[in-house]
Amino acid sequence: MSLQRYALRRVLLGLIQIVAAAALLFALTEALPGDAAVALAGDNPDPALISQLRQQMGLDEPSVLRFVRWAGGAVTGDLGTSLVSDRAVSALIGEHAVPSLILATLTLLLLVPLSVWLGVTAARREGGTVDRLITTVTLGLYSVPEFALAIVLVVVFAIGLGWFPPTAVGVDRNLLADPAVLVLPVLVLLARPICSLSRLVRAGMIESLASDYVRHARRLGISPRRIIVAHALPNAIIPAVQQLARTADWLIAGVIVVEAVFVIPGLGTALVDAVSARDVPVIQGLAVLFAVTTVVLNLAADIASRALSPRAEVGR
Amino acid sequence: MRRLWLATALIAGPLLIAVLGPFVADSDTARGGAFAARGVFGNDFIGRDVGTQLLLGGRSVVGVAVVAAAVSYLIAIPLGLFAAMTRHRWLDDALMRPLDVLLAIPALLLMLLLASVIPGNRLVLIGIVALINLPDIARIARAATIEIASRPAVDALWLQGERPARIAVSSIVPSMRRTLAADLGTRLTGVLYLVASASFLGVGVAADASDWAVMVDRNRAGLFLTPWAVLAPASLIVALSVGVNLLFDGILKAGRR
Repeated sequence: MSLQRYALRRVLLGLIQIVAAAALLFALTEALPGDAAVALAGDNPDPALISQLRQQMGLDEPSVLRFVRWAGGAVTGDLGTSLVSDRAVSALIGEHAVPSLILATLTLLLLVPLSVWLGVTAARREGGTVDRLITTVTLGLYSVPEFALAIVLVVVFAIGLGWFPPTAVGVDRNLLADPAVLVLPVLVLLARPICSLSRLVRAGMIESLASDYVRHARRLGISPRRIIVAHALPNAIIPAVQQLARTADWLIAGVIVVEAVFVIPGLGTALVDAVSARDVPVIQGLAVLFAVTTVVLNLAADIASRALSPRAEVGR
Repeated sequence: MRRLWLATALIAGPLLIAVLGPFVADSDTARGGAFAARGVFGNDFIGRDVGTQLLLGGRSVVGVAVVAAAVSYLIAIPLGLFAAMTRHRWLDDALMRPLDVLLAIPALLLMLLLASVIPGNRLVLIGIVALINLPDIARIARAATIEIASRPAVDALWLQGERPARIAVSSIVPSMRRTLAADLGTRLTGVLYLVASASFLGVGVAADASDWAVMVDRNRAGLFLTPWAVLAPASLIVALSVGVNLLFDGILKAGRR
């Protein structure tokens, strides 16, 4: 199958996944106890008022019809209005997206070079002390819950040593204005993906360095640095590119938890608040946004790794 | 070898506290001031002794994680086996495709949503974590079955007219052992991660539950007064998670040698 055909098939599959996930999430939020009308009716619900509100909002229509209408709105950027703040969900998301995007972007920017560097360093000294140290730490720290790691770092570096602020309370949404606030959250977000990626780079690198073409390049007298960067690395990072997609899932979970620990007013905080306030339109909007992000990043990673290695069997 | 010792040392502490803690915990539940200094670790956010809470709080984290992992294996393995062995392509698709949709939704997000739909208790938490792990294990089991079922020995059994259920139990499941053992280590830490993170966010647990993750969340308000009330449970969770990762990796390597 040519790359174009593969990409087309993969994009179609991604679209189906998005629609199915959106339908599932819509159904789940529908099942939340109480609907928008009950929430709006206030503390002393009057059944007549509730049924009137339901009619006004179209909640008495069949859920399939409402899903189609909601999905149609979502495509054009209209996600409804928040029940709590009475503001457009899209505006609310836009505002909360700033800190989350800053966190995620910084993490990704640091993640790739750091994990490649760690993986290559470990692979070059395979079996040595540095390698053993790197592999033990990356193996151990993989999938340690972010909140626990965050608290340990906060107690040591914020309270014990006083180097960084313990939370982002009182800091503007534009976290870049106060970079000290970002250090610990980004460190926590990096932990899990860096462990997984650097291990994959290390494994790929060890395999590449032992291969025939690298041995041949050595015999030709090409400098070791050039062999690593130009010959071994491109093949070694293919599994890591594939794994980069899973990072999306981790980053979303990580951002939710990290924002809770460091009190950052981002998308994760918005979601936790909306869930506890039963603010259905906001939950639906955020949930679909997160699902779309996951699907799109998975798609990009699948196509990228397919392009890097045409022979590898990617996906199904 | 040194790594195995490190792993055992890291796991032993939290595990012993989780299993034996509830038996030795002080039954005296007298309450003092919130975040007041008392005993070794001080008081928690509602004035309970942090030391006692530490002894009580491991059971739910470890228990829920182990049970949830067991439940997901018990459902996912037969599912994967059946999907791989059925002769009807549509049945295979009908079983496996819906699971792909679950994979498109970030685990913690799905958890927050499900937990808000169904009022939270420990059983619900177990169910949700099991559901989240289902697609992955079912895929692994299905792929392993397809590979094993193509071996000559299994072919011979088919030709002898052996019943599929018998083939599955007598020859396919035993051959799957290695694949599943390799999965178990990462699965356990993954489940531990989910259970702890969910409890931290208040999913499926009471607000005053004796649970390490809940302790970290609730006692954060007194971080400056009684840092141990937060640091101790957080460190126990970190040690347990790191230990399980190192232990299973060590066991797998030893098994391969």
